[in-house]
Amino acid sequence: MAKAARVRGEWKRLVVQAAAFLLQNPKLHHFFLGTIEKGETKSVCVPGLNCYSCPAAIGACPIGSLQNSMSGGYKKPAFPFYVLGFLLLFGLTLGRWICGWLCPFGWVQDLVYRIPFFKKLRTFRFERYFRWLKYAVLAVLVIGLPLLSAFKGVLVPWFCKVLCPSGTLFGGIPLVAANAALKNQIGFLFWWKVGVLSALLLLSLLVSRPFCRYLCPLGAIYGLFNRIALAHLSYEKETCVDCGKCVSVCPMGIDPKKQFDSIECIRCGRCARACPTDALTVRFGLRKKAESHKKSTI
Amino acid sequence: MKRSVRIGICTVLILLGTAFLLYGIFSGQVAGVIAKATHICLECIGIG
Repeated sequence: MAKAARVRGEWKRLVVQAAAFLLQNPKLHHFFLGTIEKGETKSVCVPGLNCYSCPAAIGACPIGSLQNSMSGGYKKPAFPFYVLGFLLLFGLTLGRWICGWLCPFGWVQDLVYRIPFFKKLRTFRFERYFRWLKYAVLAVLVIGLPLLSAFKGVLVPWFCKVLCPSGTLFGGIPLVAANAALKNQIGFLFWWKVGVLSALLLLSLLVSRPFCRYLCPLGAIYGLFNRIALAHLSYEKETCVDCGKCVSVCPMGIDPKKQFDSIECIRCGRCARACPTDALTVRFGLRKKAESHKKSTI
Repeated sequence: MKRSVRIGICTVLILLGTAFLLYGIFSGQVAGVIAKATHICLECIGIG
């Protein structure tokens, strides 16, 4: 049985991820009632992929809100200023650090990957091409098809409808389990989404964070900010002994030494914790002058 | 990327993000977000 590479202090990140889930979903009693929270705080977007139909959620999912806003909320297509404002500010400050520390579905994938399995894959042939799929998901399911539907006068959040596993896990399954009226309405679409979720969770046993690597449109957006975001990975070439530990523990299957500003890096800090000489560090703030001139591959 | 360029891009985008957010608030887009978020999204849970 292959085990996921262990890194010292990893439990701290898991605690932060659990706390982030509870902060974004504190109204737990709704899980038993089969209803969702309806407070005013739901006008504010949360940073991670946290479905607003999760019974306990007190914020709005930025991807769901983006599709809804583009459709003009059942009216006519509109430019989503409000949601893009959130995405720009989250991206510029934290970038994909959000994926590594705050996203509930990222946390679930991390937990599943810790289960020992006969083999763990760091990467595989042609894997880098699959990584571009998330941009196709963003272009087609989050922007293209919802806009097209909006022009026809209907609001269809295509990404939520056909793909989002977070909505199924935190919203669909708990609501259907606790709400008899919803249970009576389930059909092919529900089982399709359960299938997508199951496939991703099974894949998470083998590959770390498959949804984040290949399909997540929110990660695709935040990844674009990684080069300029305040949360960044600092690499000191002078102190690096080239032991390769950082590469072996990276959950996104990249080389943190060469790709410290990669759009794939989720700033989880596993490489930094595994580094015996502290050549890698996750920092918040402006980059030092020397860091700004180092070259990172995508 | 030069540090000054990075800071410049960052500053412009932070201002743009803030402007977008404020314009969104004053143009009433908040109402659309809260209206969607406070009702069970049937598509999101695989029913609609």
